[in-house]
Amino acid sequence: MHSKKAKFVSRNGRALLMLIVVVSACKREQRQFDPPPTTTNPAIVQSELQPGGAPQPQTSTKSPVEENANALSDGKRLFSLYNCTGCHANGGGAIGPALMDETWIYGSDPASIHSTIVEGRPNGMPSFRGKISDYQVWELSAYVRSLSGQLRKDVAPGRSDDMNVHRSEQRVERKTPQQSTIPKAAEQP
Amino acid sequence: MSNKLHIAVARRFWCCAVRRARFVLFPTLTALLLTGCGGGLQSVLNPSGPQSEHISGLWWFMLITCTIVFVLVMILLFAAVVKGRKGFPDPIAPPEKETRESERRRGVVVAVATAITIAILFVFIVDSFFVGRGMTAELDRKQGINIEVTGHQWWWEVRYQDVDASSIFTTANEIHIPVGVPVTFSLKANDVIHSFWVPNLHGKKDLIPGKISTIWLQADKPGIYRGQCAEYCGHQHAHMALWIFAEPREQFDAWRRAQIQSAASPATASEQRGQQVFLSSACVMCHAINGTPAGSNFGPNLTHLASRKTIAAATLPNDRQHLAQWVDDSQQIKPGNRMPPNKFSPEDMQALLDYLQSLK
Amino acid sequence: MTGRNAPGFLLLIISLNLAFAACARRENSQPSGLPNRVQNQPTGAQQTGVETDDGQWTMPAKDYASTRFSSLDQINSSNVASLKLAWSFSTSVLRGHEAAPIVANNTMYVVTPYPNIVYALDLTQPGGPVKWKYESKPASASQGVACCDVINRGVVYADGKIFFNTLDDYTIGLDAASGKELWKTHVGDINKGETMTMAPLVVKDKVLIGNSGGEFGVRGWLTALDATSGKIAWRAYHTGPDADVLIGQNFHPFYTQDKGKDLGISSWPADAWRIGGGTTWGWISYDPDQDLIFYGTGNPGPWNPEQRPGDNKWTCGIFARKPENGEAVWYYQFSPHDLHDYDGVNEQILLDLPVNGQTRKVLVRPERNGYVYVLDRTNGQVLSANPYAYITSSKGVDLNSGQFLYNETKNPQAGKVIREICPAAPGAKDWQPSAFSPRTGLLYIPHQNLCMDMEGLEANYIAGTPYVGANVKMYAGPGGNRGEFLAWDPVKGEKVWAIQEKFPVWSGAVATAGDLVFYGTMDGWFKAVDAHSGQLVWQFKCGSGIIGQPISYRGPDGKQYVAVLAGVGGWSGAIVAAGLDPRDPTGALGFVNAMTDLPDATTKGGMLYVFALP
Repeated sequence: MHSKKAKFVSRNGRALLMLIVVVSACKREQRQFDPPPTTTNPAIVQSELQPGGAPQPQTSTKSPVEENANALSDGKRLFSLYNCTGCHANGGGAIGPALMDETWIYGSDPASIHSTIVEGRPNGMPSFRGKISDYQVWELSAYVRSLSGQLRKDVAPGRSDDMNVHRSEQRVERKTPQQSTIPKAAEQP
Repeated sequence: MSNKLHIAVARRFWCCAVRRARFVLFPTLTALLLTGCGGGLQSVLNPSGPQSEHISGLWWFMLITCTIVFVLVMILLFAAVVKGRKGFPDPIAPPEKETRESERRRGVVVAVATAITIAILFVFIVDSFFVGRGMTAELDRKQGINIEVTGHQWWWEVRYQDVDASSIFTTANEIHIPVGVPVTFSLKANDVIHSFWVPNLHGKKDLIPGKISTIWLQADKPGIYRGQCAEYCGHQHAHMALWIFAEPREQFDAWRRAQIQSAASPATASEQRGQQVFLSSACVMCHAINGTPAGSNFGPNLTHLASRKTIAAATLPNDRQHLAQWVDDSQQIKPGNRMPPNKFSPEDMQALLDYLQSLK
Repeated sequence: MTGRNAPGFLLLIISLNLAFAACARRENSQPSGLPNRVQNQPTGAQQTGVETDDGQWTMPAKDYASTRFSSLDQINSSNVASLKLAWSFSTSVLRGHEAAPIVANNTMYVVTPYPNIVYALDLTQPGGPVKWKYESKPASASQGVACCDVINRGVVYADGKIFFNTLDDYTIGLDAASGKELWKTHVGDINKGETMTMAPLVVKDKVLIGNSGGEFGVRGWLTALDATSGKIAWRAYHTGPDADVLIGQNFHPFYTQDKGKDLGISSWPADAWRIGGGTTWGWISYDPDQDLIFYGTGNPGPWNPEQRPGDNKWTCGIFARKPENGEAVWYYQFSPHDLHDYDGVNEQILLDLPVNGQTRKVLVRPERNGYVYVLDRTNGQVLSANPYAYITSSKGVDLNSGQFLYNETKNPQAGKVIREICPAAPGAKDWQPSAFSPRTGLLYIPHQNLCMDMEGLEANYIAGTPYVGANVKMYAGPGGNRGEFLAWDPVKGEKVWAIQEKFPVWSGAVATAGDLVFYGTMDGWFKAVDAHSGQLVWQFKCGSGIIGQPISYRGPDGKQYVAVLAGVGGWSGAIVAAGLDPRDPTGALGFVNAMTDLPDATTKGGMLYVFALP
């Protein structure tokens, strides 16, 4: 009886110990509520042609939120609330270009998207300078990247609460970004 | 063997403990409980309308009945313990042989106790059925005010419905109702489940995304009643409160007429600048001020902000200092709320505050 | 006929002020041999204000009655099989081409979608070389506020001038001979989401124009500009106080629900009328006898109806106004408190129709909500409203009260997907104008057969961004064909024949005295069908899908020509024109879901095609 009990305790004890070890390895995601504004992002090189031989090493401001699922889901919410969906639908595009495909008109890295949102683009993309806080712009640009599967699956948002329109950002197939030859929205001769 | 010993020891301990504490423990506990529930603004025990009367009536009825039952049970238990100790001094002795008579007597006692229990529960069921009916019965012949309340993380959007579309207006977190008039609430949610609970006036009702649930309530006496989200809805669930102002009809009508109006145009230079600040900054992305190009309804409608007593879902008093703190960095006050920090120059901030405070 | 080629005769025509005002009621200049339309009426439907046809095409609707009927009969069912491409012209623009080519004084005028270039093509020379070209250079940012592709529905010719609208809210008057800019008036603001896509109409000395942007929460209006100076003569808003709507003493709507003071305010929640839509981007007709213009108003904003309780006057309805001062005479609301984006901007064809034994002055309107309305155009009374498409969203129209009877189970709700709403948001028929032939008495309606699933969402009004609040998925209605070209008898109120098309029929139609009807399909086929039987008698595959308005004119050589602009796009073709991703069914406000196979069927490219018999 005694030995049985001991065995039971030791077996369960071991399991418990393992659980504690496993759980302690879990890092709870940090949720930033009052983030400091990021420094202004550097201009992004948008051409592969750089005369004079060796190209400049591409520098880019790192997005502060691309590894943060909470920020991504915030970005998804803001994408709808700030009427991004009005022009880009749920990523497929309407007035504005599709965001879930591989074609990028003004660059696919977070800093370029940040700049697109803040500064606007000539063929109809409005400038949201002063209208959307810096941190929220990062959240939005991270979400935009998740639409074409650029982010980690465990960070990208899951199924949406509304009409199920397409594969969730977690399950979307990753598209390798390509610079478009001509701006899709501008076909001025 | 050891089990029996345990019971005996426990019995002795409880006897002593109860004997020592019974005069102190009971009143203290009761008093503690009651002070928790009492108070005026947000209390089931301070009913101010027909439904909450029903609820509190039921509550008191159940409390008193259960207290009586509890006291009786305690007395019987005590008597049994005392009697048992006298008639059965040796816990280790073999049990008395069961006679047919004692068996029958026990059977009767158990049957009677069960019958009484069922009878009491039955009375409760019938009573709560009638209370439930009483609370919803007048829905069919509702007259008067119809208010749509939408739960957001973490505030309440309030829209006053009307057959005349142009009398429909939107406000937030503070609901004015006329005294003695049934008010119907259509409850909706856009994000997660919330629950609308103004204990002085009614019980809880959930706000469920994609559904419209309805309750009606009535305030019989003028006053201010606090409500609270009663379904955990995220970070700031605890700070998702609302106020109901029950007013005499004339006062309510005057308030309503004022709320339908577009926002006051800025009168002073500073207010004008404040309006410009509002329209050219992030404010305009989330808030509406009727009569201006600001028309977003993600955040509370600010058309008559200055007419409200509180801001941030009844979290802070609506004065200049708190407003400034809220606009500047609400995340310090309600971490996780949907409003981002806004860094304005001191001049712009003063102008903005002037403008916001002019929105009477 | 050869005499018409002589320059002298040409000059005479110009001096006779042929082109415009005269075009409505000029008499006795009809070339011999043209059939008299009034005599050739099998069913009794009759076009009003019978005009003689000079072989020109000076306004997209052909005439003030909006018949789109050409009395030229050289091309008929016996010889149409040999119809050949005469010449073509590339517009150099790749977006949706919805415009009608305009022909006056042996010159063809074509306006492209954004960037709104106007070409004048010389028809006297072989191959129609460019006579002049006018680049209006609209602000490129205006592309960002054009809801449904950056299209333009055409120029209009009057009195030696060309008038057209640009996407960035300018109306421009050009000298038709030289292309010189006479005036350029700024009438709207792209920062509020206003754009302009409609073709103007010139009535007397007024150029009538309206704004687009019902999906951006703009406040809709119709404006009259002075044709000589370009100055704004009057502007009638479609929401707000009566003074703004130009409702005065002479306003006598037929039904009680349209009577009352300041309905443009009281039928909206507080202040919602300021961003309530009701734009005018469709067609205007004019009745010279009554001296009234008729035109419709667009959808209220936002789409999510829960945010705008009330009837939302004066959206989704039709106005009759005096052209001199804009004063409203009557109004009827097709879809009060619109639930499904059923804009009321479609064309109205002015006819004299036998109704219960007596001839009434009517206007016939194939409406977006799925019914062909016949209205008494003197007072706005609904004489009949018969369904011409599959409808689940409504139960009919009460002819006594004029009320539109919604099917409440199909009312959109926030946070809930309502399925199988038919017709879908573009309606049973969108802007694409129908044609009426007085010879057959039939109305030829190009339209679509689409249903939708719709979920209401909370819409946030942020000026200059879309104000919609809905997730929409469209798909083919019963039968699986997304388009249909049908012939409708307006007297009996029933379908005569119908041609099922795979894609929505997004092009206009033209009927000719040769008893042919021409229309185009989105996969690029330009078709001629027999006006009586609907039998396909000729077709030609164009380079891109057709969403333009075909026309027919007499060339300087006396031959009959048929012309159409190809170039897929518009709301329905946005998936091709704007390169949208077919994996998102809600793209282009839900139209992408119904058009995922269009990119396989056609490619973009604006091109003018002109056909003639060899």
